Parts: sequence; structure tokens; C-alpha cells
Amino acid sequence: MTPSELRSACTECAAGAGLIGRAWRALWPVALAGLAAGCAGQAGAVRASQVSLAVLLPASEEPFWEPIARAFERLHPAVRVELVEGPQSTDLREDLYTASLLARDPTFDLIYMDVTWTSKFAAAGWLVPLDPWFDARTRAGFLPAALAAGLYEGHLYRIPLRTDLGVLYYRSDWLAAARLAPPRTFDDLVRIARALEAPPERWGFVWQGKQYEGLVCTFLEVLAGHGGFWIDPATREVGLDRAEAIEAAGFLVDCIARQHISPPGVTTYEEEESRRLLQDGRAVFLRNWPYVWQLAQSEGSPIRGRVGVAAMVHTAAGRPACTLGGWGLGVSRYSRHPAEAVEFIGFATTLEAQRQFCGPSGYPPALEAAYHDPALLAADPFLARLEVLHEDAVLRPPVPRYALASDILQRHLSAALAGQVPVARAMRDAARETRLMLPPPPHPAGLRAP
Amino acid sequence: MNDARRAATPGGTGLGREWREDLLLLPAVIVAAAVVGIPILRVVQLSLSRVELDGGLKIAWNGLGQFVRLWQDGRWWIALRNTTEFTVLSIVCEMALGVAGALLLHRSFRGRGAARALVVLPWALPTAVMSLGWAWIFNDAFGVMNDLLLRIGVLDHPVAWLGRPDTAMAAMVVADVWKTTPFVTLVVLAGLQGISVEVQEAAALDGLTGGQRLRHIVLPLLRPALLVALVFRIIQAFGAFDVVYVMTGGGPGGSTETVSLYAYKNYFRYLDFAYGSAVAVQSVMLVGLLTAVLMRLARGSGGTR
Repeated sequence: MTPSELRSACTECAAGAGLIGRAWRALWPVALAGLAAGCAGQAGAVRASQVSLAVLLPASEEPFWEPIARAFERLHPAVRVELVEGPQSTDLREDLYTASLLARDPTFDLIYMDVTWTSKFAAAGWLVPLDPWFDARTRAGFLPAALAAGLYEGHLYRIPLRTDLGVLYYRSDWLAAARLAPPRTFDDLVRIARALEAPPERWGFVWQGKQYEGLVCTFLEVLAGHGGFWIDPATREVGLDRAEAIEAAGFLVDCIARQHISPPGVTTYEEEESRRLLQDGRAVFLRNWPYVWQLAQSEGSPIRGRVGVAAMVHTAAGRPACTLGGWGLGVSRYSRHPAEAVEFIGFATTLEAQRQFCGPSGYPPALEAAYHDPALLAADPFLARLEVLHEDAVLRPPVPRYALASDILQRHLSAALAGQVPVARAMRDAARETRLMLPPPPHPAGLRAP
Repeated sequence: MNDARRAATPGGTGLGREWREDLLLLPAVIVAAAVVGIPILRVVQLSLSRVELDGGLKIAWNGLGQFVRLWQDGRWWIALRNTTEFTVLSIVCEMALGVAGALLLHRSFRGRGAARALVVLPWALPTAVMSLGWAWIFNDAFGVMNDLLLRIGVLDHPVAWLGRPDTAMAAMVVADVWKTTPFVTLVVLAGLQGISVEVQEAAALDGLTGGQRLRHIVLPLLRPALLVALVFRIIQAFGAFDVVYVMTGGGPGGSTETVSLYAYKNYFRYLDFAYGSAVAVQSVMLVGLLTAVLMRLARGSGGTR
């Protein structure tokens, strides 16, 4: 889940959704991948001695990769880096990678992965473990949470390139005018939202409530804020039917049904629908990703200089939490040039490369040092704030069938939000289905020392 | 009926000649087998297997295990119900509107050519693109639908159309009807043009009113065209994917998830190809059965043709 997955920006990918419409038409992505391979092959044929490294990325990111790829080629004249421009939609790129890897196709040497893909791709045996190449000192350079998102069962499969973080935006000008401090607890949030809202023209709290990955990201923050958990990766324990989880889901339901601080339509919102309400001065609080900051502060924005950022609020028992997103690189098991691919990952995650990549794009870097880099900080002072917020980062559970676990939670949460099912029942059902789909824990409890 | 069928096949010619004709079909058969036959067989084979994601995607024989799992899967039954609901609602509307539209466009009036071209427009648009448009039309805060209904006083507060199971389904049906009615119109229009003017004139001379002509002459003669439109629409609507994927993602609470979306999720999101294939195979079997029954019914009562 990332800000680049904006619905407004993906007409082309929406058309692509039709293409891969039916699962049994899976041949299409393979054909596309084959085409890409054909192109790459042709380019390679020109200078036969060259090694070609291909990576599929969203077309919009290509300009930011370009300088890094060219610099790498200057350093390694025998290697050519192919930046294959793919669709903007995360799902569609995942489909393309999946189809290619399923066919054991060597087209893509590098896999540009969302945080949630790591476990699945690693479990499927599609990724090369990167442990030997990235020693403790190199690893320590990354934001701990961003690096942890690349681990599966103790091995490192993905090196982070840029991160993403769910945060709470608030109208600092309205809060200041009402002499209110930014909220720390859920009660604060509800109280302030109620005091400052005037629905339907101005809503208290907007978030992503549609049945999709964004809902899970929002919920995860509220859940941690109540002291609950979703799936414990070590014990595979499921916490969705515990009191804290039911309270957390109840909070979101109440925002709509009881407190009336969230519009009923919030259950249909993705990132952009909710952002527009803040941008138009029609929302007090917004849960969203860092990309909103740039848009809020842009020239001509009506809320420029009037927005504050914090981590999600929490109870006394809970903690502030920001769902971690972001993108990183892995190496395909079917790559013919894994050594060069690893070399490229190392090169792309140096401070200099991070400067080139994150400076013009505004993506939050994955390297800790980048947050103290004078050039980057001068371009975007927001980075300093983001680094602090990263301390509250929470990961989505690293289980191979994460997509199914997420779908189960989405469906039941969405049903509760729409008022179809009582909250407690929805969460109990979600917990039961999640337990059924999870394989037993990797290390059975019986084998542990008592 | 049997006579008609026999007359349709070119019987009586020399066997050798038929052989040569069949030989000419061979290239087409080979291509079809390669691009259609092999994938179908592969899907059937997968549906009888089991995929272990944790074991590096190993595929093992599983007999009818996936189908047993399917019949016990509450989510699949809900998806099947949603798909049926969507199919029935959208097809009833599309057939009614499509026939009406075709009857209108069949009459001669100024600008008929332009009108016929305009009608095709929604159908020519990619489904995913038009779904994106409809999703914004039904948006609660920025949508045209709420704005319009609030202005004319039908609503007194904005409605989150895609946020409730019944209205979300209705919104998807509206989008699909808007998009696919032109297809029905085109097919029926072609059927209308195949009805000879003499028959109509004779009926008029015999004193039948317009309504009577429609009921006793036009609609019975349109039966083949209607059947073609119906079968095509059932197959398409039952496989509805883009509309759902873009407009609701299957929500809220899974109340608009279709079997195609479920199959796709199993394939690509959960990497459970065996189960995804079973969902697909089961859907094809259901649609095939439905189509066969419809054809039989239509033929059985189609004595006039």
C-alpha cells in the first residue's frame, strides 16, 4: 500500500485490470513479460558481452531511477540496467512479477517489492537470500523497521529503498484558534473533532474505510493504539477477537455511527477521496501517507502552513503506531546475474543514491543517514519529523498468505463499518477464519524450553 | 425441428470432399487448441491439485479436494449469490432497455445514423475506465449523483452509494447497464433488420395494432437475436470483474464480491492456483449448464421458427 497507488493516477492501470480480468487469462502477463524479455534481449544483443539487469517499476518512478542506473553503468561498464516501465497500480505490477516468476522466467533480475510481498515471494522460493552480502554494519545503516520488513523466517530477502508511514494530519490553525492541543488519546481526537466539525460541510475525522488494503493499514494503527495485535509472527497467535481488538474496531464504527465525526461515505474512501476532504478544508483530522504533506504544502494549496502531523492517537494501554509501507529490492531466484543484481542493490542504497532518488521525488528514504543529510533536509524539512515518527512504525504480519489474512480482516471490518454485522461478531469471525488459514507456527511450542 | 437441423448440415456430398474440407480447418484447429485448449486443460488439471505455498509452490494431486473445499466455503457461496444477483438484475434491465432502444433506432428519423453511432459509445469504452468514472459519480462528497438528487429534492442528505450492500450492488448494475445495453441494442437491431417488411405490412393489413404486431410478429421473430444477446450477456455478466474490481473492490463486507474476483484473488493474491482454478472451473460449469438449459428451452418453445 503506497501513496503512488492513487486511483486518480491509474486510468491506464485500470484499463490493465480489464486485461488481466479473468484469472484464467493468466497468459497475458506472461506474454507481456515475454515481450519485455524480447526487448531486453534485443538490446543485449547489440553488445553481446554485456550483462543486462532488468527491474519492473511504476512508470512514474523511472526518472528518479535513471540517474542511479546510469551512474551504476559508468562504474560497471559491462553491466546494463534496464528500467522496465510498468503500470502504476501495485496490484498489477505484482501480477506481472508473479506471472513471470511462476514461469521461472529470468526476465526480471531485480524485484521491486512492496513491504507486504516479502513473505509470500520468499515462501514461494522466488527470492535469493541476501544475508551473505549485507553484513551487520550495512544493515545498521537502515531504519530498523524498514529493514525488518525484508526479513522472512530470519533471512533477509529485501533491502529497503524508500519507506512509507501512516500518519495523522490535523488542522493546526483550527486547533490553535480553539486553544486546543493536538490529541494524544482517542477521547481527545473525538472531543476535538466534535468541537470543530460542522457536517456535512466539514467532517471531524476522515480515513481509508473502503474494503481494501488501506482499511487494514488504518485499523492496524488504531489496533496498536488500543494495545492489541493482529497476528503474532512468532507464535502465529491471532489477536483479533481480544477485547482490545474489538474496542479498536468499535472505535472506527463509532466514528461513523455514534460520534458522527466520520462521514458515512468514509466506508468507500481510498487515499485520494479522504485527502481531498482535507485539501478542500473539509476535514479536521486525516489518516494518510506522507505524500499528503507535499500536496498540502504545495503552491496554491488552501491548507498550506495550516497542517500538523502526528502519530495515530492511543489509549493509556496502547502505543502510538504508524503502519509501515514502502518499497525495496530483492533478487530473483531465476536471475542469470544474481551477483550483479546484489551489487546494484548495494549501489542504489548508498547515501549518494538515496539523495538522488529521494531529493527530486520526495519519497521518504530508507537509509537513516539520509534523514540527517543537509541537502535532503534543506529540500524537505518534513524529513526530520518523519524520522521521529518512524520510531512508532508497525509492520503488517510477515506471513506467507498475508494477502488472504488481509482480505479476511478487510471483509469483516468492512461489514462492521457498514453496519451489517455487530462489531464483536465481525471480529470473532475474522479471528476464526484467520486461525484456519494460518499454518502452525514454524517452531512448535512443545519444542521450546518451558 | 429435426428436419431443420438436418437441412442445415451439408449432407449427401462425397466423403472424400468432406475430408479435404476438414483438412483445411486443421490450421485453425491447431491454433485454437494451442491458445484455448491447452490453458483450459491446464486449469482443469490445476483444479484437481493442491499447491503448497510454504513448500515453494509444490503442486500435488488432490482429486476433488478443492471442490469439496469450495462447497464448504461460505465466502464462495456469498460470491456466487452476489454474481447471480448482479447477472439477473443487469441482464433484465439491459434486455428491456436494449430492445426498446433497438425498436427506436429501427424507425427512420433525421439523424438516425448519428444516433446509432452515439449509442455504441459506452460500449466502446474500456470497462475499467468507465467504472472509475462511475465510482466518482457515486462518490458521496464529490459525486454528481448526490449533487443532482439533492438539488431536485429527492434526497435530503448525501448517500454513500458504494458504502452499503444494496446501493453498492445497484450502483454496479447501473454502471453495467449503461455500458452494455448498447451491445443488446446492436444485436437486436440486427435481428429487426432481418425481419422482412412484407410480414409487417401483411400484419398491418390484417388489422393488427402496433402493440399486437410487436407481441405476435416482431418479438417471436426476434427470438434468435434475443437468445444470442442473452447468452452472450450471461457469460459476460457472470464473469464480471472490472466493474467490481474498480468500483467496490468487492466491498462493503464482501457484499459485491463476484466469483471472478474471488478466482483472481486466489490466483494472484494468495498464490493458490489450485483453488482459483476450481472456482473458475465451477463457474464455467454453472454458466455452461445455464446456457444449455436456456438453449433447450428456447428451442423447445420455438416452434414458429
